[in-house]
Amino acid sequence: MFRKILIANRGEIALRILRACRTLGVEAVVAYSEADRESLPVQLADEAICIGPADAKRSYLSAPAVISAAIVTGCDAIHPGYGFLSEDEGFAEVVRAHDLVFIGPPSSVLERFASKESTRRLLAGHGLPTIPGSNGILRDDAHALAEGDRIGYPVLIKPAAGGGGKGMRMVRTPRELEASLNVCRSEARAAFGDDSLYLERWLDENRHVEVQIAVDRYGHGIHLGERDCSVQRRHQKILEEAPTPALSESARTELCERALRAVVAAGYENVGTLEFLVDNAGNFYFIEINCRIQVEHPVTEMLTGVDMVVTQIRIAAGEPLGFSQADVTIRGHAIEFRINAEDPDREFRPSAGVVERYLAPGGPGVRMDSHLYPGYEVPPYYDSLLGKLIVWGATRDAAIARARVALDELVVDGIVTNLAIHKALLASDVFLDGKFTTNLLDRVGSAAFLAAAARS
Amino acid sequence: MPDQRPGRAAKGRSSGERSSGERSAVDGSAVDGSARDRSADERQVDHDAIDRLADDLLPALVAKLADSGLGEIEIREGSWRVRVRRPGGDAPGPARRSGDRASRAQPGHAGHGHQPAGFEGHRSAKEARDTRETRVSAGNQTNGSTPAGLVPVGPGAEGREASAPAEDDGLPRTVATSPAVGVYQPRAEGRPGNRVRAGDRIGAVDMLGIPQEVVAPIDGIVGASLVEPGQAVEYGQELVVIEPADDTSPAGGSGPSGASGGRATRPGREA
Repeated sequence: MFRKILIANRGEIALRILRACRTLGVEAVVAYSEADRESLPVQLADEAICIGPADAKRSYLSAPAVISAAIVTGCDAIHPGYGFLSEDEGFAEVVRAHDLVFIGPPSSVLERFASKESTRRLLAGHGLPTIPGSNGILRDDAHALAEGDRIGYPVLIKPAAGGGGKGMRMVRTPRELEASLNVCRSEARAAFGDDSLYLERWLDENRHVEVQIAVDRYGHGIHLGERDCSVQRRHQKILEEAPTPALSESARTELCERALRAVVAAGYENVGTLEFLVDNAGNFYFIEINCRIQVEHPVTEMLTGVDMVVTQIRIAAGEPLGFSQADVTIRGHAIEFRINAEDPDREFRPSAGVVERYLAPGGPGVRMDSHLYPGYEVPPYYDSLLGKLIVWGATRDAAIARARVALDELVVDGIVTNLAIHKALLASDVFLDGKFTTNLLDRVGSAAFLAAAARS
Repeated sequence: MPDQRPGRAAKGRSSGERSSGERSAVDGSAVDGSARDRSADERQVDHDAIDRLADDLLPALVAKLADSGLGEIEIREGSWRVRVRRPGGDAPGPARRSGDRASRAQPGHAGHGHQPAGFEGHRSAKEARDTRETRVSAGNQTNGSTPAGLVPVGPGAEGREASAPAEDDGLPRTVATSPAVGVYQPRAEGRPGNRVRAGDRIGAVDMLGIPQEVVAPIDGIVGASLVEPGQAVEYGQELVVIEPADDTSPAGGSGPSGASGGRATRPGREA
C-alpha cells in the first residue's frame, strides 16, 4: 500500500478520496488552487498544498504543478479523481516516469482505450454489441440504400470525419435517405474537407445504462452491477439509479457479465465503467468506456457495500481484488441526485456565491456527499456540482419515498441550485414508472417539465 | 482604470492605518524621485486625508455597500481612491485562511508565513493588479471591526504576479511570492541589502526541473528571506521581503519591518 497520496482534485470528490485514504490508514495531501483555499477538503486535510492560481490550466490541469506537489510533499501516488487529468494517458505516463503511481489504469491501458472509435472495435471484437451501422464508408447511393435496408430505418447519416452534428441527418425512409445524401456530403465536405459518410441505426428512445467493473493487475475482474443514467439534460447526467428499471434481472445479469468478459479479455485494469445505450426492445449497444472513478459511484456503493475508491486505490497499489463475483450481492435500490449550482429557471445557468445556510439531510439509507458548509463561497471557475444526495431503499418505491423526505430536508441558501428539477422528477409519472429516456428532458423542455410538475 | 502616474501612485503607498498620523508614511517606492521630496506640509495633508478616509468615509461606504446589494463601490477624491468590495465579489477578498490552523502541516517546512488574520499573503494575479488601490474588506472576513482591513499597497505591485503586500506588525511590506510549487533557490541578486528594481530576478522555484523566476515586486532593498534555500514551497508562498527604498532608512538596514514577527526569519543565503 502507498505511504502518502496526493489528491489532485477538488470539491466533493477530493473529500471522498480523503475519506478513503483515512479508511486505509494512508496519509493524504490535498492539492488545491488559490480559489479553493477555503474549501472543505483543504480544511479537513492533514496537509494541503497550493499548486497554482484559480485557472485550472495552471493548477488542476497542470501536470508539472501536480507532480511537483507530489514530489515535494513526499507522496508516492497521485489520485486524479474524475475530470481534470483523470483519463490523460500522457499525464499517467509522466507520473510513472517520476516513480509515482497514478491511481487509475496504467498509462498503457489508458492509451489502448483512448480513442472511442478503436475502443468500440476492440470491444466489439470481444463480443460486445455496438450500434449497427454500415460496413464502412458508403460507396454510392445504391450502396447506401442497400445498407439502409440491411440496418433498418430510421437511420442516422454520419460524416466519417466529423462531429458536432454537422452533416448529420436522421432519415426514416429510403426515399428520405436518397434525398439527403447529397446535402450531407456537401455539408461534410464544407465542414471537414471530407465527404465520406456512413450509416448508423437511429435509436429513437434510448436509455443510458452503464456497467461498473473492477479488474486487478492479475486479470481477476468483477462487475458491481449497472446504473441507469437516463435522466439527462443536454447529455449531462442529473440523476442516476440502480438497478435499471429498463431491464429484467436476467437481462441485467447478461449485460454485466458480457461487459466484464469483454473488458477483461481486452486487458483492462482498475475500476472502470462501460456505457451502453439500451433501446425500447431491451437491446444494448456499447458506446464508450470511462477509465476513472465516476461521479455516480456511490449508487453502486449503496447497493453492494463495496467501497469503490478504496478498491481503486488497492488495485493501483498492486493488491489483488481479494473477493470474487460470488461475494458481490446487489441489494435494494439506490438513487443519486446531483445537486448543482444551476438555475433551472434560467436555462440551468451556473451560479456562484456564498452558501449562507446548508443543512444536509439524514436518516436511514440517506447519504450526502458534499463539500458545502455554511459560509463557503462557491467559486465560479469550476463545474457546478455542489454535492450528491444518495438514497437507498429495499425497493425502488422505498428509495423514492426516502428521496422525497431527504430532498425536503436539504437546505442550500445563498446560491441557486437545481433542487427544483429533482422535486419535479419525483412528481413525474414518467420517472415514477421508470420510463425515462435520455432525450426526454430536452424534447419536453426543462421549463415545461418543471411547470407540469408544479401543476400536479 | 487605476491611475498610473508615479507621483499620485506614491501617495497610494501611504499607510492606511486609522492611526496613521502617528507615524510617517512610506512613500519611497515611486519610480521617479519627485515624490520623495515632499514637504512636511504635504505629508500632513496626506495624513489628514487618510484619517478622514478611514474614520468617516470608509464606515459610510461599508454601510452603503451592506445596504445596497452592490458588489463594489469606488470613490475618487483628488488623487485618492477608495474601493470597497463585498467578500463574495468577483475576486476573492482578503480572506481568512484555513491554513491558520496550527495543526496544518506544510510541505517540508513549518509555518510558512501564515498571517495571523486579516490580510492575505497569497494573492492571485488578478488581485495583485487590484492591490494598487486602497481596499477594505467589508463584512466579517477581516479580524474584527471594520474597517480594519485597510491596507496600503504600492504602485510597484501593479501587474506583477509575484507580489504580495503584507502587514504583519502594522508596518507595510512587500513580499516576493512563489510563482510555482517546487523547490526554492535564491540568486546572488537576492542577497539581503541589495537594491533591486521591480521585475529583477531574485531567485527561482524549480518545478520538475523548470526554473520559475521569483521577481522583486517593487523597487527596494532585499530584506529578510522567509524560506531556506532548497526548501519546498507552494504556489503563492511568501519568499523574500522587499523593503521599499526609502531615503530615511539606510540601504541594507533591515528596518523594523524586516523582522516579520512570528515567522521563520533568516537572512537569505547567497546563491
